[in-house]
Amino acid sequence: MRIVIVDDEPLARAVVREFLGAHPGVEVVAECGNGFEAVKAVTELSPDLVFLDVQMPKLSGFEVLELIGRDVPVVFTTAYDKYALRAFEVHAVDYLLKPFSEDRFAEALSRARERLLVRTPQGADPAMEGLAEDVRPKGPVERVLIRDGAQVHVIPVDRIDYVEAQDDYVCFASDGRQYLKDQTLASVEGQLDPGRFVRIHRSYLLNIERIARVELYAKDSRVAILRDGRRLPVSRAGYGRLQRLL
Amino acid sequence: MHPILARGRLSLYLGLWASAALFLGVLVALQTRAPWAEVALVTLPLAFVYAFVCMSSWYVAHAMPLAATGAVRILVTAATASAIACAMWLAAARAWIAWLVAHGLFAFPGQGLYTLLAAFGLLFYLLALAVSYLFAVLGHVRAAERRGLEAQVLAREAELRMLRAQIDPHFLFNSLHSISALTTADPPAARRMCVLLAELLRESLALGGERGITLERELSLVARFLAIERVRYGARLDSEIVVGDGAAACIVPPLLLLPIVENAVTHGIAHMLSGGEVRVRAERRGERLVIAVVNPCDPDRPRRAGGGVGLANVRARLAALHGGDAGISAGEENGEWRVELALPASRSNSGMLEAGSW
Repeated sequence: MRIVIVDDEPLARAVVREFLGAHPGVEVVAECGNGFEAVKAVTELSPDLVFLDVQMPKLSGFEVLELIGRDVPVVFTTAYDKYALRAFEVHAVDYLLKPFSEDRFAEALSRARERLLVRTPQGADPAMEGLAEDVRPKGPVERVLIRDGAQVHVIPVDRIDYVEAQDDYVCFASDGRQYLKDQTLASVEGQLDPGRFVRIHRSYLLNIERIARVELYAKDSRVAILRDGRRLPVSRAGYGRLQRLL
Repeated sequence: MHPILARGRLSLYLGLWASAALFLGVLVALQTRAPWAEVALVTLPLAFVYAFVCMSSWYVAHAMPLAATGAVRILVTAATASAIACAMWLAAARAWIAWLVAHGLFAFPGQGLYTLLAAFGLLFYLLALAVSYLFAVLGHVRAAERRGLEAQVLAREAELRMLRAQIDPHFLFNSLHSISALTTADPPAARRMCVLLAELLRESLALGGERGITLERELSLVARFLAIERVRYGARLDSEIVVGDGAAACIVPPLLLLPIVENAVTHGIAHMLSGGEVRVRAERRGERLVIAVVNPCDPDRPRRAGGGVGLANVRARLAALHGGDAGISAGEENGEWRVELALPASRSNSGMLEAGSW
């Protein structure tokens, strides 16, 4: 059993490592001090189990799970009991409250072993579909997380210019760069603040602060010209939504 | 309500008055040499009526408490009240005796009877008044005791509330988890951590009951807190405490800085990948004590919903103590979060009390 330990406190990682020492057939393949390292390690090593702290710099444990969750079982470790329900909702294997005993730890480990035995092939677990939406707290998000191989991009929402639907993906345009994410435009729209982002077209969600002007393009069809000169199509319904907002 | 009317005390009171009635009966019998039946007919109803008249003494004692009234005024009032009560009773006695005599139930023995009744009336009213004062004093003592106990309970509750608000339980859980890790990896370090934690808890419990402490004591508490967090965060957490001339002896409310430094660690350093330094600087500028807590902060950190409770607590406490004379400001500048407190520099608790009284 290959395991990754994620915690920003070295001593907390040491507890997990020490407790694992008593269990045969277990190998710690990586120890990570933050969420970025965790996403990288999980992507490159595809471990069988991740022990994941919740409160960490840059990326919280839940954000890490959002980025890696479809691939690997997770046991949360935290001093906060308030996340327990959320951990249950995102199908965490177990939830260890610090400080935890060796017995309680062994229980979590055997639970993880059981989970491994009945595990469905990667990416095909229907229970994990739509996980990204479940994990998020209610209310508009303040930043968007995008996993690009082993790398993670964190884009604050006010730096997003627009979001474009592309087949099964969406593409976030920010600071002249484009980031692909495996999500639908409708679910992105549900996550962003409706007072700042408007669906101007079936395939486009636009940050209203980026609009320079809107021009008539043809009968019943308009085009939005952004501050950087880029032109995006505006449907009739989209123009109505835009007018209501401005 | 009159205390004697409450909870069956009336029968006890009337029982006591039965012996007074017997006493009056003996006096009247000795003076008039009338038969016992006639004496009883005269004195029993009169004593019964007077028992109720004397209950008015409680109102007199209540209106003129011993502690708040001069001795002369109390004596004059007692004399007047007993004279009025006695006169009323005598008038009733005259009417009753006249009725008994008219119906041939009692042979009138002469004016001496009224003198005897007047003496009895005055004496027993004064006695009743004295007893009323005694009960009033006992009541005051009991009420003062209860108030004292209530104040103690309230103070303890306030202390617990402050501790609950100011020492984050998750800090304790995380520290205990660190100790759990150290027990096998580095037992001496585990013991040091236990001692640090115990000192922090003991000191903060002791401080909760105090009005003001020296800045030096508060900073030693802050230093212990940072030492514990340093064990948890390792090399990610550095700290520096600088105290200027004359600042260490200044008086501050207890546990004023600790929540601010706690925030600097949990909302500042904890979000930095490579950590950073918490800097505490205290200096005296003339009559002002200025304390700044500075920590690096991550511009992309998630904004916390409903946060800033610790800061609001500190602001409220300063306002309660110093009114508009103290202030707190917080803000981000060049990637650093800076909290600055300014309050009057006083070197004794009395200075703080004066400042807090207006």
